[in-house]
Amino acid sequence: MFGYLRLEMLRLMRDGGYLFMTLIMPVVTYLVFTNLSSVTGQDHREAALYAMVGMAGFGALGAVLNNGVGVAEDKSLGWIRQLRLLPLSPLQVVAARTLCGMAVAFPPIAAVCLLGALVNGVSLGAGQWLAIVALLWLGIAPIAVLAMGIGYLFDAQKAQMSGALGYLGLSLIGGLWIPIKQFPHWLQTVATFTPANRYGELSWRIAFGGTFSVAAAAGLLAWFAIFGGFAVYAYRRSVRTA
Amino acid sequence: MRATDIGEAATNSALTITNVTKNYGDVRAIDGLDLTIRAGETVALLGPNGAGKSTTIAMLLGLTAPDTGTVRVLGGDPERAVRNGRIGAMPQENRLIPRVKVRELIGFVRECYPAPPPLAEILETARITDLAGRWADKLSGGQTQRVRFAIALAGAPELIVLDEPTASLDVESRRELWAAIRGYAASGRTVLFSTHYLEEADDNADRIVVVDRGRLIADGTSAEIKQRVAGRTVSVDLPAGTALDRLPGVVAVEIRGDRAHLRSTDSDATVLALAGAGVVRNLEVTGAALEDAFLALTDTTKETV
Repeated sequence: MFGYLRLEMLRLMRDGGYLFMTLIMPVVTYLVFTNLSSVTGQDHREAALYAMVGMAGFGALGAVLNNGVGVAEDKSLGWIRQLRLLPLSPLQVVAARTLCGMAVAFPPIAAVCLLGALVNGVSLGAGQWLAIVALLWLGIAPIAVLAMGIGYLFDAQKAQMSGALGYLGLSLIGGLWIPIKQFPHWLQTVATFTPANRYGELSWRIAFGGTFSVAAAAGLLAWFAIFGGFAVYAYRRSVRTA
Repeated sequence: MRATDIGEAATNSALTITNVTKNYGDVRAIDGLDLTIRAGETVALLGPNGAGKSTTIAMLLGLTAPDTGTVRVLGGDPERAVRNGRIGAMPQENRLIPRVKVRELIGFVRECYPAPPPLAEILETARITDLAGRWADKLSGGQTQRVRFAIALAGAPELIVLDEPTASLDVESRRELWAAIRGYAASGRTVLFSTHYLEEADDNADRIVVVDRGRLIADGTSAEIKQRVAGRTVSVDLPAGTALDRLPGVVAVEIRGDRAHLRSTDSDATVLALAGAGVVRNLEVTGAALEDAFLALTDTTKETV
């Protein structure tokens, strides 16, 4: 598995355009978003903190979803089938590729958090910083697995579309852009069940001085199981039809 | 693999397909196929497009399961043989992934296997030593196929399965690829390849298995298959007043211009009879081309269907 992980990481590191895009999108939106007083309203400090978690999560989401598009592209080249014919277990292949997506999710998380501290004056305790970065990174795993399913199920074009839809849709309804408190009541209820909201909630809790949210973690675990099942289904299907 | 292992393996079958059928919806892709390939053989799976070659290969590689019947590879389940690194495969796709160099790609593949040969040896066997530093997706068609062949052999597997390895290659690239494949087969490994090029089967296989409509319609050396069908063709200038179709051995007569072409199962007897009748002018005796044999065989199946 490590051989495969190494190969795919090597390919990722050489994909400058992809790495740049995953970084630039959340960074720019974060800076613009938090420095327009019309958007942030009264409390700039609170908005900077809220949006820091939101935009870091948005960046991570985009990184892992794009990684799924990469799988769909490789599938069209016959690479996924070639891997299936090597002595590697499917679980190892999918796990390594998921880890690749998570690796790419780290730079935007780190960059947005740095900007929060250096430009927007977010100040947190060392423990809080550590917890937020770790939760933002680990918490993206369910979406990274969802992206695997999308990559295995669809061709590159459909994967791209599903990825873009998931990117905007999940981050909007999850409250990564605008706090769900500003949603109509019924939509708030719906939003709290979505994966991106559970994901953000883990870090927002810590950021605003709360404790680790067991409920949010449980929700994310449930999504991890659902998306894992989806990825297994998509993988089996792709092996049959590839 | 030690020499004694190869000697021992030579008596065993590398793969066995027993009474297999496979449908895709209403279409019967494989229709009661039986095939055994012994270890160390180089076998061509020959047939027109849609004959069931790719489906057969997909089953041998564990990519799809037969509806009925059994497929055994190296004494077990195909998927297990793949998982244990005992098969190398070159599926029928022809592109390589971007952002990786040939050396890195083959290096990764060989490390997946339990006991791979040194990297330099793999590159040498596949004739891609000079391509090691190139980007894998920036190669010509022939170079790409040789790299894909290197992927198949990187673990020195006992059995290599190649699905139409030379499709869409030019003559020179084909020759290079075959030189590499024959080199590997010469080391005692079992090689199964599919093709719809007759000359390729003729030139590169010890044994040819002809399939059509999911059934095996002929199986033997290329000489045996040619003989099975048509024997030889005896040609002379068209004689007047001789009942050519009554001559001994003659099974078919074709007149083209002022020449008579007699298809004969016993060309010696046919020639003697022609001489007896005093009509031997510009005599020519030719073996049937494999192409004729192939067409005759597939025609026969069409009639019986």
